[in-house]
Amino acid sequence: MNLSTTLEDVQATAARCLREARCTYGPWPENHPLCPMYWHEPSFTFSGGGYLFIVSALLDKKIDFNQSITDFAFSCTGCMACDSNCNIIRFHEPYVDILDIIRLLRSEAVKRGFIPEGVAKKMYDKVKKTGDYGKASSLKLPDKISSDKADTVVFAECSHTRTQKDICEAAVRLLEKIGSPISQFAERGCCGSTLYDFGFWGHLEPLAKAHWEKMKGLKDKTFVFINPHCQEFIVKRYPEILPDYSSINNQHISQLLADAFKKGKLKSKKTDKVKVSYHDPCYLGRGLKIYDAPREVLASLDGVEMVEMVRNRENSFCCGARALGNYVPNLSEDTARERIKEFEATGADLLITACAYCKDNFQNVMPGKDKAKVKDLIEFVNEHT
Amino acid sequence: MATKTMRIEREIVSSERETIFQELRKAIGAEKVRDDEITLVTYGRVRHGFDIMWPFRKPSFVVFPETREDVVETLKIANRHKFPVTSVGTAPIMLGTTEGGIILDQRRRDRILEINTDSGYAVIEPGVSFDKLTSALRGTGFKCSVGTMPGPGTVLGQALSRGSQSFSTRYLSLVLDLEVVLPDGTVFSTGSSHFDGVGSHLRYGPYPDLAGLYTCAYGAMGVITKAAIRIHPVNEAYRIHFAGFDNYSDAVDYVKDLINNNIPEHTFIWNWHMYLTWPLSPSDMEAVMPQILESDFRKPPEGTPYNLVSSFLSGYKELVDAYEKVCAKVAKKCHGRVLSDEEVEKRFPATLAGFRQQYGDYSYRESVHWSKGRFAGWYVFAEPKDMKEIEKFAVNEFSKFGKAINPVNYYSHPFDFGRSILLRIGGFPNPDDIELRKRISKKFDEMYEMALKRYRAVPIRPIGSDRAGTYMKVLRSIKKALDPNNILNRDSGLFEEGEL
Repeated sequence: MNLSTTLEDVQATAARCLREARCTYGPWPENHPLCPMYWHEPSFTFSGGGYLFIVSALLDKKIDFNQSITDFAFSCTGCMACDSNCNIIRFHEPYVDILDIIRLLRSEAVKRGFIPEGVAKKMYDKVKKTGDYGKASSLKLPDKISSDKADTVVFAECSHTRTQKDICEAAVRLLEKIGSPISQFAERGCCGSTLYDFGFWGHLEPLAKAHWEKMKGLKDKTFVFINPHCQEFIVKRYPEILPDYSSINNQHISQLLADAFKKGKLKSKKTDKVKVSYHDPCYLGRGLKIYDAPREVLASLDGVEMVEMVRNRENSFCCGARALGNYVPNLSEDTARERIKEFEATGADLLITACAYCKDNFQNVMPGKDKAKVKDLIEFVNEHT
Repeated sequence: MATKTMRIEREIVSSERETIFQELRKAIGAEKVRDDEITLVTYGRVRHGFDIMWPFRKPSFVVFPETREDVVETLKIANRHKFPVTSVGTAPIMLGTTEGGIILDQRRRDRILEINTDSGYAVIEPGVSFDKLTSALRGTGFKCSVGTMPGPGTVLGQALSRGSQSFSTRYLSLVLDLEVVLPDGTVFSTGSSHFDGVGSHLRYGPYPDLAGLYTCAYGAMGVITKAAIRIHPVNEAYRIHFAGFDNYSDAVDYVKDLINNNIPEHTFIWNWHMYLTWPLSPSDMEAVMPQILESDFRKPPEGTPYNLVSSFLSGYKELVDAYEKVCAKVAKKCHGRVLSDEEVEKRFPATLAGFRQQYGDYSYRESVHWSKGRFAGWYVFAEPKDMKEIEKFAVNEFSKFGKAINPVNYYSHPFDFGRSILLRIGGFPNPDDIELRKRISKKFDEMYEMALKRYRAVPIRPIGSDRAGTYMKVLRSIKKALDPNNILNRDSGLFEEGEL
């Protein structure tokens, strides 16, 4: 899907939905509920198919575009469980992901001036005012490892929250411990991921173009990403929206860490025994299919015992962070609570994730004394090496 | 007259809408009653797909009962206000809904209440899907009957709409016992559990078989809130046997012979378009579909049997070994040939994988091809010798549409030990080609007429009450007694005219 795609372009895809709610749960025989909206409010409406029906209904003039549709469109958590489990939509031309159709619906809402109140509105106001949603990262490589000639480039993502800053700082310390030369790609603007997800497509192309202009000079190097949202967007969406894009070698930092442990460049400290459970972030897992590397990293740490939550890997349950609409009240918080309940059932001491949004959302619903139970993989590895 | 009556009723509906809404919320809880525009619109077409061929009927409310009492209260309120109610399951249903009415979506009632492995039945709520039940049955030594429904489909929806699963070789109807709620709030069971403390092991008691009244009634006679359905023991050994035939007549003779000798637990006749495309994975689809889409379904390529018969053989290992030999003997007698596992694996790997899924773990996951177009199917029952003629007739009629509806998939299987044979033949027209789809619908109506007159073929779904004579008259009398205000599935299904 590109940025000029219209609702009419996805009409055939939307009409293929057979209304079975297959998009809401994982594979047989476990059949785990995976769609947070459907889990929260079991109804055809609150499934991937519900969105497809709304698109069809808009095109068939059975409903007018309004604020409710906007709130509805922004309420999806964007976990991609629908796209992973529907065995109809993704196998038939034209190939359009259900989540992309939801993003398109958001984009249409934004075009019409409908923006949900709250985070989305603030985001939109900033984008409208500055043409960007970027914020400088605190990532600064130590001279010892910094080299413009290095084959590896670390992609410095925007840093909107304290969590993201902390994760970036821990990443720098880890890169220093590994000691291999590395260069840094630091562009102050948003790569476009957030704008794409939330339908602010009008401002997206110039940002993506600016990024790519700088990135393409480095395209023979391997890009290492800390935030899976940026990585997923660049490797999957730049090809669709930038005509001159050519593929880049890319890695998530968990893959770099796993490799560093294997090569003996990173060594675990001797620490007390700790039991951890790993939460697969949606964009790293279902988005990029990176499931093993974070687990390999955890397995490389002395004293760390890994226990899986019932829903894991491609059948992971979302943290709920990216639900910005309020059509389903408390969806974001309740989703996080549901996942924490699942974590608690494992008996693990720590909940490890690999995405700042997940960490923030889990911590937001936890009582103060428990917040320290949630850690990002990078911070956790930094503490244990 | 009918139109006038309906219009008056709808005006009443409109004026009482708010009152009913408040009563429903008070009775069963606000969170179970939705009237927001987005919910109503997404329930405006409940047949599968947002298909502009089908009427768009926006309900006034969608109710999500969580208990039987929620259903009882909803029906009592609706009945008091003479307000239409349509009960639906999770997956596609065969009917439309009533404009401005209540849709009762029982998907939240999805508990498996009992798996009785002594008698062989499972008691389930209406929202239980095949995926859920087949999963729960694993390790119990029991299975569902071989499915033809997608995993997310509700077991009860399949059982009550009498999908072809219910017509399989030995299994007969899925339904043993139903718990029914009538519009006035009366609750009763149709099978043995109507006696206090008795389980659901027996469909037929000392009284008339009321479960039959609720099968293919499409919710018009009452709302089902619980069901006991038949489950079957998993035998010591099983094998899937394949035999190929150059014509349908020989394939029918073969399956009749096998059934009359108590050989297969389950058997299907497939045409070559279907057995090559039915459960295809996307990559297989890309490899196979282009050729299928361009082919004439009447003329398979050299070496590809026109029909494949799959037979599920099960029992003690010694018996299965013997059954296999019998199948080979009978195939030869009927001018067919046995296809070895190796040959099937080599030539139709996806087909074999699909069979293994169905027979091996007794589950059925939706195959991807259903969305190639909007499936248009024609289904009839007939006696074996008549069905041989009907197959030729149907194939000839379908061929008139040319490649536009490829793949043309049909399957056929004996029901009730071969007393009757089902043929389901369908194509996949482009969903956007409304003109073609209208032509197909019209053609199907003509074909049903002709098949009934010429070949004594009974349609699987109602084709107009005028053809059913006094049968419909009696049904209307029963409907009036059970649902005097005609609130249940008023505009669709059994009594399509909208009034009794």
